[in-house]
Amino acid sequence: MGLLGFYLRKAYTLFKNQILVLPSRTAVLLFALALVCLPLFTRDPYLLRILIFTAIFAILAASWDLLSGFTGQMNFGHALFFGVGAYCTALLNLRLDFPPWISIPIGALGAVLTGLIVGIPCLRLRGTYLALTTLAFPIILMGVVFAIPDITGGELGISGIQRLSHSRVTDYYITTGLLLILGFVMWKITDSKTGILFHAIREDEVAVRASGINTTRYKLYAFCLSGFFAGIAGGLYAHIMRTAGPSTLEVALSFQIVIWAVFGGIVSIYGPVAGVFILYPLLEFLRILPKVRMLVFAFIVLLTLLYMPEGLIPWIRDHIEKECPRCKIRNVAFRKECRVCTARLD
Amino acid sequence: MAHGFLEVERLQKSFGGLRAINEVSFSMERTEMLGLIGPNGAGKTTLLRLITAVLRPDSGRVRFKGKNVVGRRTWDVVNQGIACTFQNMRPFRRLPIIANVMVSCLSPRAMKRGEWVKRVEAKAMDALEFAGISDMALEKASTLSQGDLKRLEVARAIATEPELLLLDEPFGGLSPAETDLMAQSIRRLHKGGRFGRLHSEGPAMIIVEHKLQQLMKIVDRIVVLDFGTVIADGVPDEVVQNEDVIKAYLGEGGI
Ligand SMILES: Nc1ncnc2c1ncn2[C@@H]1O[C@H](COP(=O)(O)OP(=O)(O)OP(=O)(O)O)[C@@H](O)[C@H]1O
Ligand SMILES: [Mg+2]
Repeated sequence: MGLLGFYLRKAYTLFKNQILVLPSRTAVLLFALALVCLPLFTRDPYLLRILIFTAIFAILAASWDLLSGFTGQMNFGHALFFGVGAYCTALLNLRLDFPPWISIPIGALGAVLTGLIVGIPCLRLRGTYLALTTLAFPIILMGVVFAIPDITGGELGISGIQRLSHSRVTDYYITTGLLLILGFVMWKITDSKTGILFHAIREDEVAVRASGINTTRYKLYAFCLSGFFAGIAGGLYAHIMRTAGPSTLEVALSFQIVIWAVFGGIVSIYGPVAGVFILYPLLEFLRILPKVRMLVFAFIVLLTLLYMPEGLIPWIRDHIEKECPRCKIRNVAFRKECRVCTARLD
Repeated sequence: MAHGFLEVERLQKSFGGLRAINEVSFSMERTEMLGLIGPNGAGKTTLLRLITAVLRPDSGRVRFKGKNVVGRRTWDVVNQGIACTFQNMRPFRRLPIIANVMVSCLSPRAMKRGEWVKRVEAKAMDALEFAGISDMALEKASTLSQGDLKRLEVARAIATEPELLLLDEPFGGLSPAETDLMAQSIRRLHKGGRFGRLHSEGPAMIIVEHKLQQLMKIVDRIVVLDFGTVIADGVPDEVVQNEDVIKAYLGEGGI
């Protein structure tokens, strides 16, 4: 009993000192709790459906950030990975009867392979050329999809796929749970030593090579990792929609991903996630103004970026937290002294 | 098998119509400190980049410890034991200084040699300590002054624990006092030993520098480049007496 009390107290102290101490961490915790608890209060199918798609696209946007935000490999054709994930998952489920929990990860491996295939020609390109080249890949794949309708279903896509689960609430828990887990994994990757190398490659690739790092390997690694997470999102999407069609490869989707991520704030993982959670439901909500929907949407995005060029979330974070000038630890904005080194803030 | 430490043979490199490096040959020993001087645009930086395989020569050979360097990838060469600094410093500006050095510490060479060092940060910190900027480890590289950026370049290069270190104007932008400090660090590094968790092999060095007086105190041999060709090669005192060298420098000074 005493031991249990000890661990409880220890856990509480950790919780207080590690999470409650910073508003951003508290916000992430509250966000996760809210997602988990939501079905206890409402099971409105329309709302759950929107949130399911939001979670899927949040995984997708975060995976884009891993490649384009962190590693600096501007990808304007990220829908490629999403589409490959969706098609592979659909085919595996339909032709080989793989259940979703097998078809989705194996489908994502298809996207990893795509990342490798696409990554190799992209190794020598950067900036605008890279962006244009990546833009072309999903268009090429769409051409292939239309060329072999026997396998891909052509324009109609592949339908008749198994549902993800038997109830919408379970679907919701699977997708949001995966978002929380995969989001955490991606954040951990960017926080690791590999993450430092990704950052460095974005900053100056030649200097990374001169430091003895095989940049080719790490760039391909970024392509594959990003492809994997985007492929999972694609597989989930296929099982939720119960079809996988050419719309998963659309240029519009690729651009949508970039808009979500930039709006939320790139090079952060949580920024793109927040971007999707704001913009995707917003666009749905704007259906009440069908005529000016896109206009209002574009206006909101533009205004935000005009005043918050770094994206929404970094802007908010910089206003509720500040960095200690001495030890670079973040503190709540209203503190006078750093919580660690007691240096004066401001 | 008799082969030299570093052998450069009839190296050529042109940029468009410009012969930046023309038939350059020299070799150096494992223990040597070589000064590489010459007027602006003589091709010194280009030569260093050819040695580290950042650039590919049009013809000629570079051999390091008997192994061909030409055509290999830069990271391969670095992991083989050649490290270089950039004349126009190239830090990762938005990363903290410690992370700048950690990139080098994560190279296979550094990881293999520091097996007993579990924490990459600690080793990076010792490289910074050696370069004298450990107090600023957490600052972003974009906040550094010119002189500190030079030191960061040095810290990054030595973090791979090279056997051959190429320094491109290590004194550039440093004050006289800072220059003395840097010169002292270079000498200590060449002697070899252990600096915290960082191990120095006592690397051979090629130092490109315009501050001749300082350079002469450190190096025991000087190679002079002019218009991409070697016009003199010998001990410092002889080289500065050499007529061709004086002409090359005066010709430049006369402008
Ligand atoms: N990437 C490049 N493309 C075209 N020309 C180049 C390139 N790099 C160097 N050059 C030219 O090659 C010549 C030699 O340049 P290099 O930088 O090697 O000279 P340097 O001896 O290092 O001069 P400094 O003392 O000014 O550093 C110069 O005329 C330069 O303009
Ligand atoms: Mg130069």
